[in-house]
Amino acid sequence: MVADLRHDDFLQAEPAGPLESSQNQPSAVLTVEKLALSLAGKEILQQVDFSLSAIGVTSVIGPSGAGKSSLLRCLNGLESGWTGGVKIDGNDIRQWPGGWDQLRRHVGLIAQKPLVFNTSIRANVCFGLHGWRQRRRADGLVKASLQQAALWDEVADRLDAAATTLSVGQQQRLCIARAIAIKPKILLLDEPTASLDPLSKQLIEQSMLQLAQQIPLICVTHDLEQAQRLKGQVIFMCDGRVIEQAASDQFFRQPQQIETREFLRWSVCDCD
Amino acid sequence: MILRWWLSTSALLSSLTIVLVFGFLLQSSWPLIQQQGITFIIGDEWYPFESLYGMLPALVGTVWAVALALLIALPCGVAAAILCAELLPAQLRGAMRFSMELMAGVPSVVYGLLGMWVLLPLLESQLDLLTGRTLLAAGLLLALMILPTIMVLSEDAIRAVSQSQREAAKNLGIGWDAMLWRVLLPQAWPGIRVATLLATGRAMGETVAVMLVVGSIDRIPDPFYNFLQPAQTLTSRIGREMAEASIGSLHWAALLFCGLLLAIIAIGLSLLIQRKVVAA
Ligand SMILES: Nc1ncnc2c1ncn2[C@@H]1O[C@H](COP(=O)(O)OP(=O)(O)OP(=O)(O)O)[C@@H](O)[C@H]1O
Ligand SMILES: [Mg+2]
Repeated sequence: MVADLRHDDFLQAEPAGPLESSQNQPSAVLTVEKLALSLAGKEILQQVDFSLSAIGVTSVIGPSGAGKSSLLRCLNGLESGWTGGVKIDGNDIRQWPGGWDQLRRHVGLIAQKPLVFNTSIRANVCFGLHGWRQRRRADGLVKASLQQAALWDEVADRLDAAATTLSVGQQQRLCIARAIAIKPKILLLDEPTASLDPLSKQLIEQSMLQLAQQIPLICVTHDLEQAQRLKGQVIFMCDGRVIEQAASDQFFRQPQQIETREFLRWSVCDCD
Repeated sequence: MILRWWLSTSALLSSLTIVLVFGFLLQSSWPLIQQQGITFIIGDEWYPFESLYGMLPALVGTVWAVALALLIALPCGVAAAILCAELLPAQLRGAMRFSMELMAGVPSVVYGLLGMWVLLPLLESQLDLLTGRTLLAAGLLLALMILPTIMVLSEDAIRAVSQSQREAAKNLGIGWDAMLWRVLLPQAWPGIRVATLLATGRAMGETVAVMLVVGSIDRIPDPFYNFLQPAQTLTSRIGREMAEASIGSLHWAALLFCGLLLAIIAIGLSLLIQRKVVAA
């Protein structure tokens, strides 16, 4: 199912087996093996395999309903009914020390629909910090996170205003800042620039590339050009399966699978 | 056209009723106000035979009984609501809710009898009191009666916190207990507040059950926080003495003034509720 890939430091080709893959690829911080998910009697994900190396962006593309969001939700434990293996730094996430909450602090997820809490902008950014004292003394962190999310300039003078008064695009960036503030070791972004103007989009992409020098990022996107700009790896999903994964330039220049070619050319996917 | 006519007529009629009620209460208690001024409100002696109509004992009793009831029912009700909304499996939750709804439907006189036959002897034996008819008894009984209101409405409010809010909090690695304090309760607070105000209204207006257990002694507790003494509430006084007062007498006017006081407090409460609902 998975395309024959160039072996490089981002992604391994054809995960061979549960044991081998984690041994052969010590640099992989996240390995997903035979991940399958059914919701309400419907197969959402089938046999998803891939792995992430220590840094860099991995873009996930695919038609609407392919299961991209569901995949991200499995990786940080929001969906729990899946089967298969997900390992982070060699630890099975089902046995994560400290449980799901600790896992979610390790694996940040920025959801597809931006949702801000009904408090001030500042409180939203600090929401994930433990302890009210830390939350009150977080001015530096608030500024840094908002800057990284390309929102600082717009809200610097009204940090105490209600977050719900922000526009949707601003809320989306606020959600990014909120997730960055708890300093996750892996960041999952679900269409982070979907409702943004070109400029903010560009700023967010810059931040993502910056972050990607320290931690691995998975970014779901419908914007193929964005996937190209983000470099790194591309995973193409359709109907709950990974059809092809490759380094970005190779993926767009020489797609191996016929479904991928169809998708890139006509934006349709027929992979049943 | 007809719909509009119907709506406006009903609205007019209901607002007219309020005005009528107030007008009637004010008019019938007017003789008392005319004769004694308004100072009897803070008088602490109620001796109808000597034309002393101090409202303070019953006011204090009402406030005490309601406060005790809220003090007990609010934490219990909200805790039960959290349990039901968040922790119980669906079947248990259904059972608990159903029993709460049943509780809300039981006529208050049944609670009164229950209080008389179960609560009073219990208080007498456990607390070593001469009589179990105390403010505490009234408070406990009222707590039982408003518990369903608080619990059911609070549960609805907690369950109404959207799944996406919860997931957004979860995504930040916030555990369930922190989420409870920082997301669920703040979000549900407007609903809990309304539940509390509604329950306060019910507790304040409750008559029969309170009358059976409060002791009906027109005295301010001494010291004023001693809720182990018999007392009187506005409603229990009206319920007890209305039959004895001859229509048109000062006594009768004083009792109707008790009703006016209750109505004023009730209106104040519903104004509060309305403000909160609009704000929410
Ligand atoms: N809770 C659920 N119960 C049942 N089916 C679900 C549930 N959540 C998602 N699905 C289904 O899973 C499939 C994949 O959904 P998902 O949100 O992962 O798609 P997606 O690739 O993110 O699409 P989009 O690009 O539109 O965001 C869809 O067909 C959807 O209907
Ligand atoms: Mg999606």
